[in-house]
Amino acid sequence: MVKASKKTSTSNRAFYLIIAAIAIGGIAALTYASTKSNEIVNASPVDTTLPAVKSEGYVMGSPTAPLEVIEFGDFECPQCGRFATLTEPDVRKNLVNAGKIRLRYIDFPLPMHPHTWNASRAAACADAQGKFWEMHDALFANQDRWDGAATNNPDKVLKQLGDQIVPDKSKFEQCIDSKEMQAKVQAHWKLAEARHVNGTPTFVIGDQQIGQSLTYDQFKQLVDSAIAKSGKTAPPASGDTAKSTTVGGKKGDTKKGQ
Amino acid sequence: MTKRMWMALISLAGLFLGVYLTMYKFGIIGSLACNVGSCEQVQTSRWSVFLGLPVATWGVGFYVLMLALAIAGLQPRFMDSRRLSLAMLLLTGWGVVFTAWLNYLEAFVIHAWCEWCLGSAGMVLVLFVLALMDWRETKQIDEEVAA
Repeated sequence: MVKASKKTSTSNRAFYLIIAAIAIGGIAALTYASTKSNEIVNASPVDTTLPAVKSEGYVMGSPTAPLEVIEFGDFECPQCGRFATLTEPDVRKNLVNAGKIRLRYIDFPLPMHPHTWNASRAAACADAQGKFWEMHDALFANQDRWDGAATNNPDKVLKQLGDQIVPDKSKFEQCIDSKEMQAKVQAHWKLAEARHVNGTPTFVIGDQQIGQSLTYDQFKQLVDSAIAKSGKTAPPASGDTAKSTTVGGKKGDTKKGQ
Repeated sequence: MTKRMWMALISLAGLFLGVYLTMYKFGIIGSLACNVGSCEQVQTSRWSVFLGLPVATWGVGFYVLMLALAIAGLQPRFMDSRRLSLAMLLLTGWGVVFTAWLNYLEAFVIHAWCEWCLGSAGMVLVLFVLALMDWRETKQIDEEVAA
């Protein structure tokens, strides 16, 4: 009886020790994962011999902002979706609207995503009516409604999304059906290829090219460092001072404080 | 080590796994460690959310409940409790059904596998087997006492 009780007591002690070890190990692993995964691992200096990015893409922010940040993105890429929905609202609120940066989005449709070209064309069609960023946000927020896993008829869903955004629905739908924006998306894709972009999202921030999604803290750190290196001064964070433009000087809308 | 002790240990491990994936869903972790499969494709798909909450968060709830039941089952008061045993069996049974559905989605709808999800599915299956064995034991004890 005494032996059995001792055995149970030892077993219990061993159990609670293992429980404590798993708990400590688990907390340590989670802490490590949250710090390790926030390290910027895919940054490399920008090759200055590559073709310059001038008028391509879609631009949000003030033309006089001290820094332009370029994102090469794919509307069907999950990591781009995470950046657009989790990080970008803070980027727009605190950096674009404050006049610190100008954000340029350039399509880089990847071959493994079957509907990404449709989405890029739809975004270009929305841009033709001054609604690129609204469409950009709708595409990323509803990625799971039109991507390769969700449907075989992406244009139908893209039209539904765009119809809620653009002023002229029939023009938008006609633009999608005619694929008239194919050449524009192709030009963006060629530019990304020429600049040796090999994945999405890829950001160009100052003299660094970063091939991974970024958290807001990482993004801001890179922006601050690039502005400091450039010697330009960022305007004080005094709210929504920035104007928004799209390609060709067309005026767009700046998303505020999402 | 008793079956309930093993269930508590596995539930605790599963709890951390669920918290890890939940942290990813809420943007606290930038990217997932994923050597095999496409964890991020699965975790960002439309099926990674169930009734408004990330599936991983439901998993956290499941493992917390299982951990609580298993630890309670170690206390002298509930040591031979058939009700508690049945509760664990039903909970893990539901877990098996739910993870089977998730695995079906990965295989035939998303066409991508998430190693963390597969790990969790394995843990749920082991928990179910242990709960079944535990339930049969408590049933036997009840029958012996009745006799």
